[in-house]
Amino acid sequence: MKQMVHRSEPALALAHPQPSLEGERAAARTIISVADLSIVFDTPQGQVIAVDRVTFSVAHGEFVCIVGPSGCGKSTVLNTIAGLETPYSGAVTVDGRPMQRPRPDVGMVFQQPHLFPWKSVRKNIAHGPRMLGKSRSEARAIADGLIEMIGLNRFADAYPHTLSGGMQQRVAIARALANQPRVLLMDEPFGALDAQTRSVMQDSLLELRERIDATVVFVTHDIDEAILLADRVLIMSAGPGRILRDLGVDLPRPRSNAIMLDPAYLALKKDCLDLIRSEGRRAFDQSSAG
Amino acid sequence: MKRINILVGALSIPLFVVAWEVIARSGIVNAVLFPPPSVVAVALVEWVRSGQFFLDLGASLYRVVTGFVVGAALGIALGVLTGQFALVSSLLSPLFHILRPIPPIAFVPIVILWFGLSETGKLFLVVWGVFFTVWLSTHIGVQKVDRGLIRAAQMLGTPRRQMLQEIVLLGALPYIVVGLRTAISISFYTLVAAELAGAFAGIVYRIEIAQQNLQTGQVMGGLAALGLMSFVADRLFAAVAERTVWWR
Ligand SMILES: Nc1ncnc2c1ncn2[C@@H]1O[C@H](COP(=O)(O)OP(=O)(O)OP(=O)(O)O)[C@@H](O)[C@H]1O
Ligand SMILES: [Mg+2]
Repeated sequence: MKQMVHRSEPALALAHPQPSLEGERAAARTIISVADLSIVFDTPQGQVIAVDRVTFSVAHGEFVCIVGPSGCGKSTVLNTIAGLETPYSGAVTVDGRPMQRPRPDVGMVFQQPHLFPWKSVRKNIAHGPRMLGKSRSEARAIADGLIEMIGLNRFADAYPHTLSGGMQQRVAIARALANQPRVLLMDEPFGALDAQTRSVMQDSLLELRERIDATVVFVTHDIDEAILLADRVLIMSAGPGRILRDLGVDLPRPRSNAIMLDPAYLALKKDCLDLIRSEGRRAFDQSSAG
Repeated sequence: MKRINILVGALSIPLFVVAWEVIARSGIVNAVLFPPPSVVAVALVEWVRSGQFFLDLGASLYRVVTGFVVGAALGIALGVLTGQFALVSSLLSPLFHILRPIPPIAFVPIVILWFGLSETGKLFLVVWGVFFTVWLSTHIGVQKVDRGLIRAAQMLGTPRRQMLQEIVLLGALPYIVVGLRTAISISFYTLVAAELAGAFAGIVYRIEIAQQNLQTGQVMGGLAALGLMSFVADRLFAAVAERTVWWR
């Protein structure tokens, strides 16, 4: 049941336990490239710069978290990588091709599950494969495999409104994985969940990630979540959004929530918090001076 | 407490009928203008026995059903188009918003000029009345479809056509169903206007003829039949609607 999630492709970077080796391999194979990206929105109050000349790239197989204060443009960056938003200037490419519109090799999980309310869990997950021309039975087989993976076998025929928030978000993740995307974008997928469900979901995402071959860009404003999940954390400044720091997370995998007591983890977290605090002070001084 | 409510509820109509019978027979009111239920019942039975009832019912049903189906289909199709495509909406919505508030019944005179007393004219009136209600509710429903659902569907590679047929249409369905239900009563209003304007068969036509002959019992029987028709249509639709929005 797991084989349809795996691609029969060469070496997934995640299969290699040593982070240094992983890093080297990854560097050689950039999959997402965001170059000098600016996004400007036209509003009744005039133009708003949401994202200001952001540049970064993500290697194949990497798990990158973007953190930053509310309104700094995290979702906007992610939507642009998804092809839902067009750059004002700069360029976004995935797999070497510019993102002009959504593409099935780039999947997305939103803060809200956005499941199709008229479809059962199975049909929600099978939607993507059906749209890509898979037969009914093929799509069903893919869906059933993923349902097993997210542990919702009992709910395969249930409708979304009968599921809890955590279960719905699991279905949304499975639905995004059904098309075997090379890139999975996640926009605060656990933001709407309570703390307990959230940490369960984080652990199951970590577990899931050991089994799938996808590059993940994960947006959150929770530092703990970012360090727990990521190979790299990009810290963004308050709007207009810029990348402040690109931080490698050299903690061993497989990880779980237990890692949050590890000294190396705490040191990293302190770094992040210091950076965010000084940035916050700088932004505050700037705004009160100007 | 509850049982009493049910009991009283079950007695409501019989009590009303008995009171009506007593009052009509007591001589307080003019029995010709206000016949007792027993007389109405006899008129109804005769209407059915003569076979005329089924011809009338058939004629009226044909107009209501055909007009409803055509009007609803047009309303849904155009509502999806104006709701989804800003250009189509700019072209058509202002026109529809001007025409929509005019009560459909007010079109009777011009419809008679255009179509005479033909079936086409009657269908036109019903279609006209149904169309605007269904169009508006579809248009609003389509615009209110959760943007998140559309984005999620886009991310999954949903082609444009599927997006309209499946995501947008089903997303708007709860609104469309409400519009359709309102349109059912509108189709009966317009049916009344269409048949009063002149017809050769139909429930309302029969009521009018009976009125001219001062057959008040028949008039009331006709009203009862019309009420029953409309009631059954609404209930049938409610049952269908429950299944249409099946995920609720
Ligand atoms: N469609 C839009 N029209 C106008 N302004 C927008 C639009 N989308 C986003 N913005 C603005 O762009 C900025 C960045 O928004 P964005 O949603 O990307 O922030 P975010 O970092 O995801 O915030 P949050 O953590 O609250 O989700 C904000 O100032 C927001 O008001
Ligand atoms: Mg956001």
